[in-house]
Amino acid sequence: MSRFVIATPLFLGLVLGAAGPVQAADSKQVFEFYCAQCHGMDGKGRGINVTKDFATDPRNLTDSTEMAKRTDNDIRNVIKEGGPSINKSALMPPWGATLSAAEVDGLVTYIRKLCDCKGN
Amino acid sequence: MRVLAVTVNLGAALLVMTSTPGYAAGGEAIFKKSCTSCHYTDGPAKEKTIADQLAKKGPELWYAGSKFKKEWLLAWLQDPQPIRPLKYNSLTENNPRNHPKLSAGDAAAMTDYLMGFTSPEVKAGVITPKETAQGKHTFVKKAPCGGCHEYPEKGVARGGKSGPSLVGASKRLNPDWIYAYLANINVFKPVRDMPDFGSVLNPEYLKKVSAYVATFE
Repeated sequence: MSRFVIATPLFLGLVLGAAGPVQAADSKQVFEFYCAQCHGMDGKGRGINVTKDFATDPRNLTDSTEMAKRTDNDIRNVIKEGGPSINKSALMPPWGATLSAAEVDGLVTYIRKLCDCKGN
Repeated sequence: MRVLAVTVNLGAALLVMTSTPGYAAGGEAIFKKSCTSCHYTDGPAKEKTIADQLAKKGPELWYAGSKFKKEWLLAWLQDPQPIRPLKYNSLTENNPRNHPKLSAGDAAAMTDYLMGFTSPEVKAGVITPKETAQGKHTFVKKAPCGGCHEYPEKGVARGGKSGPSLVGASKRLNPDWIYAYLANINVFKPVRDMPDFGSVLNPEYLKKVSAYVATFE
């Protein structure tokens, strides 16, 4: 019995410990696959698509001052509905039909790490 | 008895006809020998995760016969010029411009082989290439395709780099495939870095923008 009581938290700890980094890596992969083409691998808004023909500046996601003005829900919505949903450029397309809710939530968490900020 | 023999023979003949591939055997042999490290023709789409897509070295070809124009494919295989500004699946490396060239004979066999891979999702005769104000507006403003794709403007390639170039789309792409792809992208490419516009734009917008892209020189 006592061995079981000790072993269970140990097992849970291993599982939870393993789940954290895996989820973080997944969100990084999602960001780099979908978002980095415009926002850049580092999130600073200078992705490969940002040429002289790109009609706007993609958000610098590491700008903590600007990003702190957005709530998590704002970020979630603009990912899903696109720029026009907040009167921003349609060059930010709607990803709601492409990404799962969990992937969008993961991106919000990842973007908060990039800006090292919280939404007001 | 005679009726039975005729029926059996007819059945056998039909079986042979339906099991005969609609492409030249030479093309299949070349494909299996030289192309399978980067491409696959046995659809439907296999990719389920981002990792699956990233593992690919080149585009899937299981709907090539619905996607490409035959004359373009025949010429391109003999003189392959980059379609993507960047290396496949890369956002940092330029296209290495190293697609193998085929001889005229091999290109003809390969073209016949690849044109045999069609998708029932692509309905013929839906899209006629045409520039309309609505098509251009959708391309430029509503769902700005040029953010990720090169497009021609007065003979100059402009626009983004991450997607395949749309310069020369009128020669390369079947207009009906452009529409089918936009309308039902998950069938063709379930994992890709392009949004599903078929879920957010109505079919009329998709048809007009497909017709517009199909005019690109």
